[in-house]
Amino acid sequence: MSSILQDFEDGQRHGSGPRLALALTPVDTPQDPDRLKSFYSFSNSAQISASLRYYLCQTCGLKIPKQELNAWIDILSAYWKAVGEILQFNEFPSRASWVRVFDNWKEVANLLIRAYSNSGFENWTIPCLYVVGKYLRIFASKADAETSSQGSVAYLQDDASTDFGKDAKTEEAARVLNRMFTLCLNDRAPIDESRKWGVYYMTNLLFKTYFKINAVGLSKNLLRALSAQSKELPDLEDFPKSHIVTFKYFVGVIYFLDESYSEAEEHLAYAWRFCHKNAMKNKELILTYLVPCHLVTTHTLPSKKLLSHAPRLEALFRSLCDCIRKGDLHGFDAAMTAGEEEFVKRRIYLPLERGRDIALRNLFRKVFIAGGFEEAKDGQPPIRRTRIPVAEFVAALRIGTHADARTRIDIDEVECLLSNLIYKGLMKGYIARERGMIVLSKGGTAFPGTGV
Amino acid sequence: MSNTQSQEKQAEASQQPQQQKATVLEEDDEFEDFPVDDWSENETEQAAGSAANGNNVHLWEESWDDDDAAEDFSKQLKEELKKVEASH
Repeated sequence: MSSILQDFEDGQRHGSGPRLALALTPVDTPQDPDRLKSFYSFSNSAQISASLRYYLCQTCGLKIPKQELNAWIDILSAYWKAVGEILQFNEFPSRASWVRVFDNWKEVANLLIRAYSNSGFENWTIPCLYVVGKYLRIFASKADAETSSQGSVAYLQDDASTDFGKDAKTEEAARVLNRMFTLCLNDRAPIDESRKWGVYYMTNLLFKTYFKINAVGLSKNLLRALSAQSKELPDLEDFPKSHIVTFKYFVGVIYFLDESYSEAEEHLAYAWRFCHKNAMKNKELILTYLVPCHLVTTHTLPSKKLLSHAPRLEALFRSLCDCIRKGDLHGFDAAMTAGEEEFVKRRIYLPLERGRDIALRNLFRKVFIAGGFEEAKDGQPPIRRTRIPVAEFVAALRIGTHADARTRIDIDEVECLLSNLIYKGLMKGYIARERGMIVLSKGGTAFPGTGV
Repeated sequence: MSNTQSQEKQAEASQQPQQQKATVLEEDDEFEDFPVDDWSENETEQAAGSAANGNNVHLWEESWDDDDAAEDFSKQLKEELKKVEASH
């Protein structure tokens, strides 16, 4: 007795979507290492439909409405064929092909979509859509990798076609997933019976697919479609957290790539708050983008504690953050160069580069602190010295850039850096050129947000 | 499995074609499926953070002040200033 058919029967009998979806999960399990094989040996290609019909109606005695039953038999027959293609990898590896697995799996997906539109599949079965969509993406990716490894010789001969069609199956998968997305989004059934509950899961699958084929722009179409329907969708908080956290992560990254850092931060912070506390990898990914956002929007650094819990981030950000904190411009430049490849790969180079202004601000802030206080008058609380010679900032810059005796740093250059910081709101004050002085704002606002 | 372990494993499997290695590394960067569909409020990072700290977790550095280093910097600045003034 195949555990796949057992899962299907139990799912139907108890109205359990997750159980039903388990039946459509095309992998062996540690408990049942021959799971696929035993399902495949259940019948043969000539008789699979008839065998399934007899088994479900007679052996199990399931009472499923006729139209629905026919749809399930079609789906399970297509599934059986796809499983046969997967098994080839064990039986006859030389004849096995991920392209064929994908093509057969796509048929499963199409039949499932049709069953929702025409055969009255209810919304409790929607985890089936999730699992079929999920494996469609996986198989597409394997099929594309297979094609590009086999076709490498042909590609070499014709440079122009190098990139053409390298994501062909993934693009095909995206179109099918898009139909699943629409199937969920546009369901008009009352909300308790609606497929709208599946909309964020499908959106996430599409996000992952678009990111994979570097078509992030297409993700915005999904966001537009969702926002057009926002009144009819349940509140985010009512969806399962796995759907919402993933969704918020991707939306955050999409804004991030558009350099809309405050919107990005909002979404990423949401994903961070509701992420499962033990999902280390995902937490690190969220922070990979949240940390640069926060640096740009609020000019603050991640705490030592935050980084110490995440080794990958520690390696990514630690030295950069230390240099920013200390105002070590030389070290900052070195850390940016050292991490360049990784930063570019993760697409965080641009916002991190803005950290140089914060490092400079911190360096100049130290000049202000080192300046100490004016003599207190009549028992008034002491106030910091707010008139500072430009020469002190020149000296600080020499320290920060590790300038040696031969390096010249001009007053003009330093005045330019100072006016830049003032313009960006990182410092408050003005340059009194004729006296060679910087006059900083009094009352703890000279370096806004830093306490002095 | 930690990152280092999985990288070591990849290094060992040297018979794997180059193409496949690249794909594996890329997928390493992908947001993972959560092992469960939903979880309760107190299993969220937000709740875990507040439990660990008594209140809200300090994600971000609150202060720029580094009293130990301020003294040093002050000295360093004076020395550098002398050099700057001497050169003019």
